[in-house]
Amino acid sequence: MSTPNDAFLSLRHLRKTYGGAVAIDHVSLDIQRGEFMTFLGPSGSGKSTTLYITAGFEDPTEGSVVLNQKNLLGVAPSQRNIGMVFQRYTLFPHLNVAENIAFPLRVRKWKEDKIRDKTAQMLKLIHLDGFGHRKPSELSGGQQQRVAIARALAYDPPILLMDEPLSALDKKLREELQTELRRIHQETGVTVLYVTHDQEEALRLSDRIAVFNKGRIEQVGSGSDLYETPSTRFVANFIGNSNFLPIELSTHGSGETVYVLPHGGRVTASAASIPVQPGRPAVLMVRPDCMRLKPAAQTTSDGASLSVRVRDRSYLGDTMQYTVVTPWDQEINVRMNASASASTFWSAGDEATLSWDASRGMAYQDPL
Amino acid sequence: MLLDFSRMGWPLKAGLAFIALLTAMFLMAPIVFIVALSFGSSQWLAFPPPSWTTRWYLQLWAEPGWIEATWNSLKIAVLVSILSVVLGFFTAMALVRGHFRGKALLRAFFLTPMVMPVVVLAVALYALFLRIGLTGTLPGFVLGHLVIALPFSIIAISNSLESFDFALEDAARICGASEWTVRWRVTLPSIRLGLGAAALFSFLISWDDVVLAIFMATPGAETLPVRIWAALRQDLSPVIAAASTLLIGTTIIFMLLSALLGARTTKTST
Repeated sequence: MSTPNDAFLSLRHLRKTYGGAVAIDHVSLDIQRGEFMTFLGPSGSGKSTTLYITAGFEDPTEGSVVLNQKNLLGVAPSQRNIGMVFQRYTLFPHLNVAENIAFPLRVRKWKEDKIRDKTAQMLKLIHLDGFGHRKPSELSGGQQQRVAIARALAYDPPILLMDEPLSALDKKLREELQTELRRIHQETGVTVLYVTHDQEEALRLSDRIAVFNKGRIEQVGSGSDLYETPSTRFVANFIGNSNFLPIELSTHGSGETVYVLPHGGRVTASAASIPVQPGRPAVLMVRPDCMRLKPAAQTTSDGASLSVRVRDRSYLGDTMQYTVVTPWDQEINVRMNASASASTFWSAGDEATLSWDASRGMAYQDPL
Repeated sequence: MLLDFSRMGWPLKAGLAFIALLTAMFLMAPIVFIVALSFGSSQWLAFPPPSWTTRWYLQLWAEPGWIEATWNSLKIAVLVSILSVVLGFFTAMALVRGHFRGKALLRAFFLTPMVMPVVVLAVALYALFLRIGLTGTLPGFVLGHLVIALPFSIIAISNSLESFDFALEDAARICGASEWTVRWRVTLPSIRLGLGAAALFSFLISWDDVVLAIFMATPGAETLPVRIWAALRQDLSPVIAAASTLLIGTTIIFMLLSALLGARTTKTST
């Protein structure tokens, strides 16, 4: 889509090893100006390492970091003019809120009246007017992170790096801060690189998400790209809930690709699926909310279907979650809209037909 | 529980209070005694003093050597606390942040003056300083006291560095601060309580020391404790009580100052 030249921030072929251990490898990513880009992945997947290389706290073994056509490698963190918010609370404890926000400005030798104006403006941005004289220890965790954001944005850096800034907060506060973050991003238009292991947070905040696994980027795309058409089994498993049905390639005819389920049934899958090699096991991923339960006799012509037995159900308010068992004794999760299906709640032991739109199934095969 | 004070019956509480009172008296009595004697009129240090006077203080002021010794003690103690904090900071930084072989060994080495008998150290230093002509000089006293003060500085500063989150330094760096600014505006202010404690300990160790100072001293160059020791050996005069009161008074002033400083900083930071 975008050539490296028109990208605002470009990470190219980054590789970082510690002794013999590879932390990240082949990490390449182009980020557009004003974009909210999230690095999502389990711990140890390399997302934080990539962020710290961008900040300059780590040097890559190979590769380059180019911001606005300028190579950042070899530039000290203090000279990169980048804003950063850390996982831990890093406000300076001996300075009050206003002095903390003014710190990067004082370091840059701004004039006092300009510092005062900018500090007031930043306090307004984070909705903490009147808190300037408080000490960090007098603030809640959420307020401290908001001040940290103000400090990181006070000098109008071109990019803001955030390393799991909300992970120390409880769920409710975290959601409040996520809304705040979206607003601050929209108001300032700053380019954000955000690291998290929380997929919900990533989906809520980001324009695009880069999914990290074992030091590599598995997929980059919008939240719906990742949810609808995950390009690897890892992404399918990591983002949202998923069922994996074992399949094998049946015939690779001129038209559709057909797969065989363990009990012999035939299904097709999304055309976006990665080609599957014949003779080796593969899996078909179907989201629980793409599946429907229908009366046992009813067959479907439009998609894929299976005879199943209902094992359990749990009422989750807006949805009803069923656990059903396939003829080959695999448990599958199905989520159906609770109000719409209110008249036809299934009970444990019921025989039913499980069906889904075949184009919503994604086939994957682990590489040899 | 047996040791839970709030659940004890009154006889136990009263018993404990009595023991505490006795202990406090045992600790305080010599100080009260010496202060009282310094203001007493009896030349033979009779107790209770027949009447009160300040003449021993005037005599202290007039007699040669006392003022000089006090001034020497102050100079040495101030220099020792400055050097001890500076060296202690760098040593503690290396011991807390550094990754190198033999770190534990080095740490133990730095702390040996604490466990080594001071008199052994004093003899060794005396032999060395005599040879290089440092006895009776200001650098001689300062270096000698630095050896026994430094371990306390290193411990106090290491402790505060260990509770200091070094992510604060990264935060300052990404804000644009140079390494120098990071240390000066973030690291040092964050560990100021440890630095203050190190300075105070070092000052008091030097101010109080008599063993090392006796070996370092020459007739013309002595500290207040040495002067007291020397005067005691000649004759028992209330002037010594006055000098001791001065010594105690200065110590108390420094302790109070540090307590006030500590109270103020904890108040503003919570």
